[in-house]
Amino acid sequence: MGLNRLAWRMLAARPLRTLLTMVGIGLGVGVLAASLTLGAALDRSVDRTVSDIVGRADLRVSAFLESGLSDAALETVRSTEGVATTAATLEHRTFLSTATGDPQAAVTVLGVDPATYPALHDLTVVSGTGFAASDVQVALISQELARHDGYAVGSQLSILGAGGEQQLRVVGILAGSGGVSGSDRVALVPISVARQAFALAGASRIDIQVAAGVDPATVSARLAQRMAEPYVLSSPADIAAGLRASSASFQGTAALIAAIVLFVGAFLIVNTLSMTVGERAREVGLLRMAGSTRGQVMRFVFAGALVLGVVGSAFGVILGTAFAYALAHTVSAATGVTAIVTGIDPQSALMAGAVGLGITILGAIEPALRAARITPFEALRARFDLPSVRRSRLGWIAAVFVLVGAMALVAWPPAIAGSGAERALAVYAVLLVATLLTPFFLRPLARLLGLPVALLLRLEERLARGSLARDRSRTTLTLGSLVVGLAMVVALGWSAQAARASANAWLQDVIPGDEVVSSIRPIGPDEGVRDALRQLPGVARVTPIGTFDLAYRGYRVDAAAVVGADFLADGRLHAVTGDRDAALRGLDAGGTVIVPAAVAARLGLHVGDTMRVALAAANHVDLRVSAIVERSIPATSGEAVLVSWADATQSLGVAGADAFAVRFTPDATAADRANLDATATQYALEANPVERIQGAVADALARVFGLFDVLAIIAVIVAALGIVNTLTMGVLERIRELGVLRAIGMSRGQAFRMVVVEAAVLGIVGAVLGSVVGLVVGAVMLVLGGGFAPVVGVPWLPIEIAVVLGLGLPILASIYPSRMAARVSIVEALQFE
Amino acid sequence: MRPFHVDLGIARAATLEAPSHDGPASWTEFRPTPMTATGETMPAILEANGLTKRYVLGRRMTEALRGVTMSVAAGEFVALMGPSGSGKSTLLQLLGGLDQPTSGSVVFEGRDISHMSDAQATKLRRERTGFVFQAFNLIPLLSVRENIALPFTIAGQNPSRGELKDRVRQVIELVELTGKEDHRPDQLSTGEQQRVAVARALVTRPSVLLADEPTGNLDYTTGGELLQALWRSCDEAGQTVVLVTHDARAAAYADRVLVIGDGRITDEIVLGRRVDHSAAPLISRLAQIGL
Ligand SMILES: Nc1ncnc2c1ncn2[C@@H]1O[C@H](COP(=O)(O)OP(=O)(O)OP(=O)(O)O)[C@@H](O)[C@H]1O
Ligand SMILES: [Mg+2]
Repeated sequence: MGLNRLAWRMLAARPLRTLLTMVGIGLGVGVLAASLTLGAALDRSVDRTVSDIVGRADLRVSAFLESGLSDAALETVRSTEGVATTAATLEHRTFLSTATGDPQAAVTVLGVDPATYPALHDLTVVSGTGFAASDVQVALISQELARHDGYAVGSQLSILGAGGEQQLRVVGILAGSGGVSGSDRVALVPISVARQAFALAGASRIDIQVAAGVDPATVSARLAQRMAEPYVLSSPADIAAGLRASSASFQGTAALIAAIVLFVGAFLIVNTLSMTVGERAREVGLLRMAGSTRGQVMRFVFAGALVLGVVGSAFGVILGTAFAYALAHTVSAATGVTAIVTGIDPQSALMAGAVGLGITILGAIEPALRAARITPFEALRARFDLPSVRRSRLGWIAAVFVLVGAMALVAWPPAIAGSGAERALAVYAVLLVATLLTPFFLRPLARLLGLPVALLLRLEERLARGSLARDRSRTTLTLGSLVVGLAMVVALGWSAQAARASANAWLQDVIPGDEVVSSIRPIGPDEGVRDALRQLPGVARVTPIGTFDLAYRGYRVDAAAVVGADFLADGRLHAVTGDRDAALRGLDAGGTVIVPAAVAARLGLHVGDTMRVALAAANHVDLRVSAIVERSIPATSGEAVLVSWADATQSLGVAGADAFAVRFTPDATAADRANLDATATQYALEANPVERIQGAVADALARVFGLFDVLAIIAVIVAALGIVNTLTMGVLERIRELGVLRAIGMSRGQAFRMVVVEAAVLGIVGAVLGSVVGLVVGAVMLVLGGGFAPVVGVPWLPIEIAVVLGLGLPILASIYPSRMAARVSIVEALQFE
Repeated sequence: MRPFHVDLGIARAATLEAPSHDGPASWTEFRPTPMTATGETMPAILEANGLTKRYVLGRRMTEALRGVTMSVAAGEFVALMGPSGSGKSTLLQLLGGLDQPTSGSVVFEGRDISHMSDAQATKLRRERTGFVFQAFNLIPLLSVRENIALPFTIAGQNPSRGELKDRVRQVIELVELTGKEDHRPDQLSTGEQQRVAVARALVTRPSVLLADEPTGNLDYTTGGELLQALWRSCDEAGQTVVLVTHDARAAAYADRVLVIGDGRITDEIVLGRRVDHSAAPLISRLAQIGL
């Protein structure tokens, strides 16, 4: 008989097991393919965004003020040492006149320097020409604008400017959106035309290419020295890093889960091949007796693995497409970085397929070696189970999983290589160690946790426990995969809870009130809103908060004007360095700023430093850093530095408060609260209790973690597939025993329950171990992620979910094998040897 | 004189002289087979009427039994002999309600058991019959005591208390395994394992004990010990025993031997209850009928 035929037959003989194993591999490969596809899509998106934004420029100086950068500022930039090429751009949004285009849709007009702009930005002209040096009153328009409004080369374009309509001639059409991010209706005109049309001077921004051999950082330092006007400096690296950072932890977690699902899938493969070798020991023995070499026997195990791996991986790549869509959708919604997935990325598919196949082959090594050790004499043994052949060695399996871990590192998305990989490695190590330790916990735990079951189903429990102890390595792999899957559910649940808790604690710590009343326009101090609110019954304190931003050394910094005395009285804020009380007391007098730790680290500020804030018309105001606090008020893109209302209104141009934090008296009634809401509505304000703000934060987190939960549950499902295989194998091996039991009076129901109880005991032990391991993994993730804080309580809900899954899925998985056990024909079982 | 002939549809019906109860034993000392107080032979506890059994395997059909009619009296020790594949095991399984016949009926304690529901059959196996097979009778993870008490455990009774505990102890004594109660099956010799199986079959005090080649894997001495145990339970406690065997020395413990060939009962040899279980007379009888 051909060895390949034997390999094929051994898979076909157990179609269910083969199918489940393929599905298991498929799920693992699918999650990995999706995670890789997502990574590739994010990379593409970041690259495209960066090149759209800055092109080939090394640095970009943008205007901080709406009025733009002055001609003097442009000159300062141009004359800065190390600056080679500059391209000033004036950006203005306007409309087209009715005569020539769609007057409803805005158009972004970019005034560019025809001489230098093409040097820093790619202009792909699809028809017509680019700018000629002598041209005036011409425009290059984006393909989208041309298509939508029906322009062609030679058309007249009439834009609405400061002094009326400006007539321009379309000389070229630019590919796509014209290489401009954020808009696809774009017209490029010479900057002189734009200045004249909109009656503006200077520019919105100036892109810089530094001279060869000059470090852009040196140039930015020089700019910080020289620039008198407020400006915002950015570099492609910063933009890319910013974009990547917002999706990196998401991507990292997705990749980690992919690794876990594959890890669990690998258990399934090893187990399946082990069982197959065990079952076929006799045939292998006969083959050896007939003269097959060890190599041939090993090859036949590998051939079987190859079939499993190829079919499973192919299935996984298809599944991966669906997963990738879901991931991309969530990442876009959660982080704002658009990842466009148009199908599976071929490179990712290839990589995931290769990893799937590789893991399958690695998983086959140990069973193949075991098959090769089968002696011809084993064929002569009468009994079905050959303990020496059947049991796999855990040491080998550990080695295989270390290899699998190494492979996962190879496939690790390079974009998130830093902290993500180290966290993933730590998690993987914890899970591996936990799996290898499970056999030591199985017996005592099964005994202890089986007790309640034993009260009801004594016999079934006893037999089930014995069955679990039959094959240590098989039970280890089965239980291990369940533990790993459930541990991930608990760990991710805990991470989510920690994120929620720290967000809540943050809000609790910084907001000096029970409710935040917000406005869409700044409310000046003379409008009497604050007094109106303060006079309401049950209101103890109303403190105005005005958010704005300021320019500091090329950074755009979020800031908030607050009343220091109110924060002091309300007990908000924790100082990291500096004296909190003194800083808050001194804040209202003006001249100081309180900086949150994260911002201090980014800007390099320390207590006592002076923060020179650039103002319009080359003015500035100096603020002394009086304290650095742990956390501060959340703002647009981070946390706000806190300044006094005096500085805000007098120097920084803040017109009024856009929020009031309201603290109620301890005896305030529900009616008082309702009354406040009603009054707020009268002033066109929106009242939000802090709990509602917390709820909104929690919702955003839930969306992200919800997806992770789904992925973690996939790992548990793969584990459940393994349980079906293991229980089925257990029934097949004990078929003779079942025959005897039935012959001496065991009912079908008892036979059925025996297997269900086996699954249940496995599930209970899995749930308990999974929860414990999940807490360890969660702690590792939180500590390495920097999110471990005392506010993080025990994640009871995730543990409950793990227990429900841990009990439910194995019992569901036991339905098929237990029906099989119940249907055993006594006579046939007794003939079975 | 009790003339009797064997079966009806047999090719080679053998009419044998049954040993007379009053006359001196011609070949050995024997005691009468069980009788009622009034001297009648005990009523049949187990009867088979025109049993046939066909196995269909793919397109091949095997007729394992082709019409078997027989009966076993209460307290009787009956051996079924015959060549391999003759249908002995099949017959035993039908007699014990492990399987259902293709046609014909099995009447056990006056009740037709050939077409019972699975629940009824389970109850019957729990309470009325005991089985011993050739090998692998025991549950490896359970101790000797637990294996023996298994029928009680399965029935939801607690075998570690009261009367059941005594019963377990008694059967352990009967099969002479006292002191090995806490051993695991793999710590026992094959002979001891089979004795555990006998003890388990007897512990529920079944109406019939059905044994399929229980000594098939045992050597002469250990097989003898097992048969002694079976015989004691029959002789001392009135246990009805049906024993399938290849071995004339095992069959020689029986009161009566039914010979099966090709799915039919071909011969019946009455040996009577004997204290000495010498196989010589049976072997010579078997030789007469060409076995
Ligand atoms: N489950 C089954 N399926 C198909 N054929 C069967 C089955 N069980 C028994 N047979 C066939 O029925 C016939 C009688 O089998 P049985 O096991 O009753 O014989 P036996 O007298 O017990 O033989 P042995 O002494 O070898 O145990 C044989 O030909 C056998 O192949
Ligand atoms: Mg047989």
